[in-house]
Amino acid sequence: MLGIVEQGLILGLMSIGVFVSFRIVNMADLTVDGTFALGGALCVRLFSLGLNAPISLLLSLLAGASAGVLTGYLHRKLRINVLLAGILVMTMLYSINLRIMDGPNLPIPKSSVSSSLGTYEQVAGKDPLADLFESSAPVAKPQKETTRQRTYQNIFRGMADGQDLFLLSVIILIGVTLTGLFLRTELGTALRGFGTNPSGLESFGLPKTLMTLLGLGLANGFVSLAGGIFALYSGFADVTMGQGMIVTGLAVVMVGEILLVKKKIVYGLFAPILGGIVYQGILAVVMRYGYRIGFRASDMKLLTAIFIVAVIGFGLVSTNKRMKGKFRLSTIFGGGVSRD
Amino acid sequence: MIELSHVSVVYRKGEENEKCALKNATLRVAEGDFVIIVGPNGAGKSTLMKVLLCELAPTIGTYTLNGRAMRGFSVTQVARWVGRVFQDPNSGIFPDLSILENLSIASKKGIRGLRFRSCPQKAVTLLSRLGLGLENTLNVRAGDLSGGQKQALAMVMAIISDPKVLLLDEHTASLDPKSSVKVMELTRQINEQFGITVVMITHNMPFAEQYGNRKWRIEEGEVFEYEYRPPLRRTHLETPVVLLRDQPHYEPKLV
Ligand SMILES: Nc1ncnc2c1ncn2[C@@H]1O[C@H](COP(=O)(O)OP(=O)(O)OP(=O)(O)O)[C@@H](O)[C@H]1O
Ligand SMILES: [Mg+2]
Repeated sequence: MLGIVEQGLILGLMSIGVFVSFRIVNMADLTVDGTFALGGALCVRLFSLGLNAPISLLLSLLAGASAGVLTGYLHRKLRINVLLAGILVMTMLYSINLRIMDGPNLPIPKSSVSSSLGTYEQVAGKDPLADLFESSAPVAKPQKETTRQRTYQNIFRGMADGQDLFLLSVIILIGVTLTGLFLRTELGTALRGFGTNPSGLESFGLPKTLMTLLGLGLANGFVSLAGGIFALYSGFADVTMGQGMIVTGLAVVMVGEILLVKKKIVYGLFAPILGGIVYQGILAVVMRYGYRIGFRASDMKLLTAIFIVAVIGFGLVSTNKRMKGKFRLSTIFGGGVSRD
Repeated sequence: MIELSHVSVVYRKGEENEKCALKNATLRVAEGDFVIIVGPNGAGKSTLMKVLLCELAPTIGTYTLNGRAMRGFSVTQVARWVGRVFQDPNSGIFPDLSILENLSIASKKGIRGLRFRSCPQKAVTLLSRLGLGLENTLNVRAGDLSGGQKQALAMVMAIISDPKVLLLDEHTASLDPKSSVKVMELTRQINEQFGITVVMITHNMPFAEQYGNRKWRIEEGEVFEYEYRPPLRRTHLETPVVLLRDQPHYEPKLV
């Protein structure tokens, strides 16, 4: 149960990034899949090189933000459609992540150098989403033993530990508070304005390029941080861990928005967090009892995508004016393209 | 203040369907002028506006604003001196933000910092002087306002940081007659009371007759000045504030 909330929080943190790009900056940024894995890969690599966990996370965050900035740059300066720019950077990151990890995955080393690859490989072939949601995954508890040669400990001890929950809550709280405060500043207000009327903002002296870089940087920073946290939490990074994250994140945002109806808490930043926990809960239930109706873990992505289609197509979130059916459809699938 | 000398604009230059949208225009606007531009569809009015906004550099000729050559300036740079309101009521405001947040974005120029946003009293005063009642609903989402209110808000936003000139491209075209009159009165106020130069495109002939001291007609890219009177110059203090609410209802015939 605790594990569900914890994983929900990580998912929520990731989805804040999706929220920032899709809802605040109003751009369909697909870099996310790559940056989530980048965060995980880089964080585990830095951590196993001997940096402490907070610094590893911070550097992963910065790396993710740079990836977002790159997408923004490709879009604004080289005039590449934002969807394509995101896919290009995501593809670049796939190769980069393999380089960072020097392989398709990287576990956090245990007590000896001959680490946990043995156990890990059993998991590597599985759907990454399944790992995220199965609290009984074999990788789940690698952190009980501590390394002797290493000075730093993983800040996450493993699943179902009250301390992890506390730590995650603190990180989320700090993230949301800082972002909330930022959105109240002059620059943050301008960023929100940019999301609703990019050309309009130009006539008040703020260039589109700057706002794009800022928005996508912020969004991917969140995603990458979540990727790093997820890797530390579960004890490994995998090159496929980001696969489908954009869809999951979008679903999470929508779940949160549906539950909160019209209320916007901290500019709506609260929706992804609530959505993350609820989504994770639903997932756990489906995982546990779904087999009775012949459901497999790998079907989850299909369901998630269908959910998004349903929400948009039938305007399920129509209580909120911002997201009425047709309007959102165009924003999501033509976002940033038609608005130039 | 605005000087265009021998400005031509050619779209798709070099291609077989190239289009000369503005032909050798030499124009002058003095400080305090209220320019009305009329002309049929496709005549090149918006093209002229784009040149003034630096959205489009003239193919030939020079554009000078306040003695500064504008070649090489971007839309964001020229925003320091130029305010604009266009036909679409959602284009001049930020629909998802509150009126207050809209005003706070508009009340600054150039790159913003990390100070908390504020809305200068001046903005609220200006808004309340217009008598639209918007000053009491500052936390309302701007997108929920009526078309006329949106355009009024957009105009306040466009002039709040003291631009040299306000450019209006058919800014009453999507409004009903009553709202159009209100917005036109507001335009007059901005010109007469705040001394802001106005350049306005309209298809509404009664408005074109009633307002403005300098009138241009554009036909197939050629600009003619067909009327000129010296601008009304009044000082801010002498002029009583005309509350739009008290204006007699005048229904113009739409052309
Ligand atoms: N980006 C463009 N590329 C090519 N041709 C263009 C472009 N913009 C305008 N034109 C052409 O230039 C001519 C003038 O267009 P413009 O928009 O200035 O007209 P207008 O006077 O504003 O008309 P309206 O009253 O319909 O707004 C038109 O023939 C138009 O087709
Ligand atoms: Mg036009």
